[in-house]
Amino acid sequence: MLVDGPTFRRLVRGRTLLVSAEHDALSVRQVAARVGLSPSHFIRMFAALFGDTPHQLRTRARLERAKQLLAEGATVTEACVELGFASVGSFSGLFHRRTGAPPSVYRRAVAAPRRAPLVPGCLGLMSEVPAAAPSNSEEAPPP
Amino acid sequence: MLHIKLSSVMVEDQAKALAFYTDVLGFAKKLDIPVGEYRWITVVAPGRDDLELALEPNGNPAGKVFQQAMFAQGIPIAAFESTDLDADHARLSARGVAFTQAPTVAGPVKIAVLSDTVGNLIQLYQPL
Repeated sequence: MLVDGPTFRRLVRGRTLLVSAEHDALSVRQVAARVGLSPSHFIRMFAALFGDTPHQLRTRARLERAKQLLAEGATVTEACVELGFASVGSFSGLFHRRTGAPPSVYRRAVAAPRRAPLVPGCLGLMSEVPAAAPSNSEEAPPP
Repeated sequence: MLHIKLSSVMVEDQAKALAFYTDVLGFAKKLDIPVGEYRWITVVAPGRDDLELALEPNGNPAGKVFQQAMFAQGIPIAAFESTDLDADHARLSARGVAFTQAPTVAGPVKIAVLSDTVGNLIQLYQPL
């Protein structure tokens, strides 16, 4: 499948709209219209280019925002309301299925003192040691 | 003596990346070692072991920003050599792979660009 330049740019714009909190109220059909593609064309090309349907990508983006909110100290209920999920139950269930842990457990894990969530650096995984946060200069060994 | 033995691409989802790079592109899995919540995964060209490509998680937010910006600008993040680009293009197109550039002669090479479905554009090239 060839995605030509103008269509590529439309799909990238569509992706930006789908993952932004600001445009969360737009349906997939409305996003397709905004970028000037028919819904079926948009969905088919989108999946080939990004590996997810627009709906799947939006769900993933919402869960990433949920993780961010929980890491910043929001309660599970607050995160749920903020992201517009219909109920805490559906939010928790989806979060658990996709991330492997309920949001309450995730929240406690990232909030635990001195334990940042694992963020691998480039090639940092190779040493099998989670990439450490950059040490500040006071802790640096003397030259 | 130093060798160039390892290169890497950042990927959005390691399991999906492994499936695409092996089942679709045709590389062979070399290593797959669990590391915390991620995996150390490398692939090699079938029958060759001269260069491993690591499929690294883009868990670092800075990595995601870089990856998405390069993609949006249409810039490939890596390039693989093909011995028959037209055949590879036909084979991959039949598998539903999205190309942003069909095989095109550009000076001493023929090039094409595909999406790896995990956040990157990849260039394929065949020296002429």
